[in-house]
Parts: sequence; C-alpha cells; structure tokens
Amino acid sequence: MAEDKKMKRCPVTLQPDIEELLDWNSYSASDFDSASVEEKADFIQERQSVSYWKDAWRRLKKNTVAMVALGVIIFLVLFAFVGPYVVPYGYEQFNKGAENLHPFHYALEDQRRLDAEVAARTETETLSVDELIARAEEEAAAKGEKLSPVDIAKIRAQAKVAAQNTPAQSQQVDVDALRAELGIKKKLFGYSKEELERKAKGETVFPHVFGTDMYGRDILVRVMYAARVSMSVGICAAILVLFIGATYGAISGYCGGRVDAVMQRIVEVIYAVPEMLVVLLIATALKPILTEYVNMGSGPLKSFVSVLGPNLISMFIAFGVLYWVTMSRIIRGQVLQLKQQEYVTAAKALGASGGRIIRRHLIPNCIGQIVVTTCLQIPSAIFLESFLSYLGVGVSAPLPSLGSMATDALSGMYTYTYRLIVPAVVLSVMILAFNLFGDGLRDALDPKLKK
Amino acid sequence: MGKYVVKRLGMALVTIFLVTCLTFLLMNAVPGSPWLSEKSPSEATLAALNAKYGLDKPLHIQLLKYLQNLLKGDFGVSLKMQKNRAVLSIIKEMFPVSAKVGALALCWAVLVGVPLGCLAAFKRGRLTDSILRVVCTLGISMPSFVVASILLVSFAGGIASLKIFPTIFDASAGWRTYVLPCFALGFYPMCYTARQTRSAMLDSLNQEFIKTARAKGLKDNKIIFKHALRNALIPVITYLGPQVAFTLCGGFVVESVFSIPGLGRYFVQSIQNRDYPVIMGTTVFLASFIILMNMVVDILYKIADPRINLMKGGE
Repeated sequence: MAEDKKMKRCPVTLQPDIEELLDWNSYSASDFDSASVEEKADFIQERQSVSYWKDAWRRLKKNTVAMVALGVIIFLVLFAFVGPYVVPYGYEQFNKGAENLHPFHYALEDQRRLDAEVAARTETETLSVDELIARAEEEAAAKGEKLSPVDIAKIRAQAKVAAQNTPAQSQQVDVDALRAELGIKKKLFGYSKEELERKAKGETVFPHVFGTDMYGRDILVRVMYAARVSMSVGICAAILVLFIGATYGAISGYCGGRVDAVMQRIVEVIYAVPEMLVVLLIATALKPILTEYVNMGSGPLKSFVSVLGPNLISMFIAFGVLYWVTMSRIIRGQVLQLKQQEYVTAAKALGASGGRIIRRHLIPNCIGQIVVTTCLQIPSAIFLESFLSYLGVGVSAPLPSLGSMATDALSGMYTYTYRLIVPAVVLSVMILAFNLFGDGLRDALDPKLKK
Repeated sequence: MGKYVVKRLGMALVTIFLVTCLTFLLMNAVPGSPWLSEKSPSEATLAALNAKYGLDKPLHIQLLKYLQNLLKGDFGVSLKMQKNRAVLSIIKEMFPVSAKVGALALCWAVLVGVPLGCLAAFKRGRLTDSILRVVCTLGISMPSFVVASILLVSFAGGIASLKIFPTIFDASAGWRTYVLPCFALGFYPMCYTARQTRSAMLDSLNQEFIKTARAKGLKDNKIIFKHALRNALIPVITYLGPQVAFTLCGGFVVESVFSIPGLGRYFVQSIQNRDYPVIMGTTVFLASFIILMNMVVDILYKIADPRINLMKGGE
C-alpha cells in the first residue's frame, strides 16, 4: 500500500490520475515522440530496486514477535558460546564444599546468628562423650567409688543415642521458623559458606547464579554448555538436512519421469517410518559401535568421531537418514514448477548441464522456502535431542545436555526444584524462539502467504 | 477404493519390512554377543548356545529366520530384564496400559484442540486469538517431560496446598491417576491440533461458499459449524496419524516420569539395560502399529473427503 502512494507521488509516472483520464484526447503529436536519453535515465532512477532479502528484512522488521524471538536467539547464542568464558567454573568442575547449593544464600552474619540461636536452644545436650565420662568419674570419685567399664560403655551408648536424636530433631523443626523469627532473608545467588568467608575477606568470588548440583557443579555453566550442545545439534542437523534434502528434491524434481517416480517411492517409505522410534534405535545401536570404533579405530575419521562423541554422531546419522524427507518434498514441489519457466529453457538451449541449471537457476529460486524449512528444522532437532538425552541415549555423560539435566533433577524434584526448572525453561525458551522466528521468517520470505 | 487400499497396504508392509530389517541389522551390528553378560561361558558352551539360537549362521539366514518367526508372532525372548520371557507376552501385558493413556491423551487433545482452533480463527486478530496463539506456540515448544515435570511440581506435591493428584501411577486408584499423565501427553498434540485447525479454518473462512452463506443471511454458528468446520477438519484428520506416533513416543517419557507400567517405560528401560531382543521386539511392534495407524488415517481421510479422487491415488 505504501508503495502505491509513492508511485502516485512520482513525477514521471505511468499511472494516470482519474482527472488525467479526461485529458487523454488532448495530447499533441510531440507527446508521442520517443523519450530522450536523459528522460530514460530519469525513468530508471525513479526508485531504487529493493532486493529480495532487503524486502524480506523490511517485512521481518515489522513483525514484532519475530524480532523479539531473534533477540532471544541472539541472547541465547551469546549465553551459550560466550557465557562459559565469563563464568570461572567448568561444567565438570566439582566445587568442594559447595554441594547442593540453592540459587539463594543467607548472609554470613545471618548464618552465624542462626547457628548461635540453634546452639542456644539445643545447648543442654551438647556435652561431648568424654566430658560426660569425666563428669561421671568425678561424681563416682566423690562417692568414693570407681567407675566400672560397663558404666562407661553405658554412658557412651546413651550419649550416642542422644547425639543421634537431638540435633537432627531440633534443627529440622526449628531452622525455617527460626529464620522467619530472626528476620533473616534469602539473598540472590548461591554461595557456599566457605565462599562467603572468602568474599568477606575481600576476594572476588563468582556466585553460583543457579546454585549447584549434588556434586557441587555450577548449574549456570552446565546450562550454558548444554544450550551450546543443543544449539549446535539443532543447527548442524538442520544444515545436514538442508544439503541432503535439497539435493535429493532438486534432482527428483528436475529429472522427473521414471527417476522421479522411483525417488518418490523411496521418500514415501521413509516418510512412513516413525522417526522418533528409529532415531532412538539408531542412537542406541550406534553408540556402542562408535565407542568401539573410537577405542579401536585409527585415522582422521577416528579423531573426528572422538571429538564429537559417539552419541552426537549417531544423532546426526539418524537425522541424515530420516529427516531430509520433508525438505526434499518441498524443494521437489518448487523445482517442478520452476523448471517450466523460460529461463530454464533458455539455459538448456545455451547448453547448460542439468547440474548447473539446478545449482545456478533452480536452487536460488527456492531459497526462501529452503531458509524457512531449515529454520523450522532447528527447533525440531533440539526437541529430538532433548528427548533422546532425557531417555539417556543422547549426549555422552560428562557433557551436559538440557534433557539429561532434567532427568538428573527428577530425583530431588521437590527439594531442588530449580535444577529441573532452569534447564526446562532454557530449553522451552530456545525452542519457542526458534519456532516464532521461523514463523516470522516464513511470513516475511513468502509474500504469497501474506493475506 | 480397493485399489488405493491395496496400494497403501503394500506400501505399509514394505515400510514395516524395511524397519524390521534395519532394526535387525542394527542390533546385530552392536559389538559383543548377548552371552557376554553371563558368567564368561566356555568356548564350547558359547558354540552350543550360538547353535541353539541359530547365531552361528550367516546374517541373511538369521534375518530370514527372524522374519519367519515374526510372522508367527514370535518376537524372541528377553535376555536381561525378565529372563527368557517371550517379548510378545511382555508386549501383550504392557501395551494396553500405554494404549489407554495414549488414547485418552489424544482424545482430549482433539476434543479441546479443535474448538480452540475454531475460536481462534473466528476471533482472528483479537485478544482471544493472540492469547491462544501464545499458549499454543508455547505448547509446541515444550517437550513432554517439561510439561510433565511442571505438572508434578505444581499439582503432585511441590506446592503443598495443590497436592491433588498422585505422583505415581496406580491403575486401581481411579480417574485421578490418569489426569496428569494424560494432560502432559496430550498437551503438545492439543496445541498442534489447535494451530492446524486455526489455519485450516482461516483458509476455509476465506472461501467463496462462506461468502455465499453470509450473503444468504445464515447465522454465524451455522456458518462455522456447518460450512467452515467440516471443510477445515479434513486437513486436521491427516495430522492424526503423525499425532498417534507422537503420542506413543511421547509416552516413553511421560510413562517414565509417572512410573506408568506401560510399554513405553519398558522400552526405555530395555534401552538403558541394553536388552537387545526387547528393544528390537518393541521397536518393530510400535513401528508397525504407527505405520498401520497412519495408513488407516490416510484411508479414512480419503473416505471423508469426497473431492479426492481415489483412483488417481490423490495428491
């Protein structure tokens, strides 16, 4: 619409106004002279041509949701790829003394106050065993008797029972109520006691923003690495699918006839295969095979496999085997239409080979759909990766994955809810952002879809 | 019609055959023999065992044998989890549980998703539409284990006052026990269905016959339900097939979260235990089930839509 208005404002426009219609008959003969060179130049410079991508970008920019999603994606990329360099912990680093930290802490003086209070309330029974025995011996000596070994053993046993009962009971009952009583408030980020002491001495200690897990591993860093894994899997899988699908679809569509028929039968069969099941199967079966290969094999392929880890590779293989079908169908449909166009005939007449026509003429013309499908493939790959990791056949053990982090968190779900929430939220936000961005991209790149 | 059904059936059988072969080859490619988990048997015992189970024969003969057995309904026996129990009897015991949960989940997904999609399409561009779109996009972005754990945390003990539903599945405990698993399992299909219905409804609301219906003064309700929805539902039906597959596979996760004694959880356990015959048997069974369901849905679709010419195989 905006473009139409611009057109009307143009000085040398071919669009007549309604008023001008009335003047049609009043043209003189000179009006029909051919245009001069300057006039032609003028005409060409009328409006700058807008390239396909610029046009799409302009439309995309208007789509607030897609832009927000893009922002989130950029943030997540920074989070996953730059984040680990900012946080001084490693994803495998066991921070001693910082196990099971919540994502909040209590100030050091508050903790001391609390300890003092707890001690004050449970003071009566805090004598050590030896003290008790010494006291009993004193009492016995005062009576002029000597303490028998049986008596000492009795005292020891009593003290042991008392030690088992009292502190546990009194602490469990008291601590939360006591905190409320003393007005102790939670403070953001997790610190262990030792870290707080170091901080009090003036050292800079990086907080455990999301707390730590049962081994004292920093959850923030683990989530960063996991997000990195998820994103890499998503993008690599999407690119793999792109190459296989686009090639297959283009060849199938371009060749047509019997080749197309055979290739489409194959596609139909693969399309009917329940992917998740087969991916699970492939991941399960390939993992030991690849692990053995890493241990036994040699050559550059081996180092490649061991760098990526057997599980990632088997996941990629699964994607390469099964997920290109959608892409190939889309490309084939496009190519079938495009190959009827004159420029393809022209290229053929000039003696271009099939491969060249596909590469130079057909693929660039369906780039919009390729980009959109690739972009929408990313969240589905991330989805699948988390699914596999959740079931324990995803990313290999030391490397964290959002799915496996969520599984690990299930056991302590009620006490350490944040361990479940953090990876789940990051995962959902990531998939959501890619989905929304993909949707926006589709609207932007495909003007036909816009109503 | 008959020709189409035969063609689809042939296609389905080819797919099942391929999946079976793939499964068989993959499982045989796994290093180590099934006997390694035993107390390192002697050479002679190994040879005898291999001979007994036909493992000494070449691979293609083993495959043939396996396929033959499969046709007789023999899926082999479990090696680790329930030693020597026939995989088929395990499937027979556990599949009904999974199927029940899955069917309930799919039911609520369709029964809620379709009306929500209609509502969104009819209120297009208004607040209701925006809210529904956000919810649905969120829904298709959350893997089922995320939904399941959120539900667990909020309704099964995390928040004390909201502890309405049991954490652990117990078939004898009545309907309460089904609520959370079915909700978690059906949430994704529900959102997906709603999205599909919305776009299909929008398409069909833009058609000429809707304009005609409006022009002749029909009420909104009648336009939506009699004219628009019936046309919009057809593409929605096509997605039911993949939904069945998705619900079954999502079941793996949901069943392990809620400890439902279904086939999905067992499948996951068999993967963790590397009980290869069970993995193989369940994969073949589930894959065949999904493929056949897809086929049935496709055929229903052709029956439902009179515009599609069956003889040409439709496209």
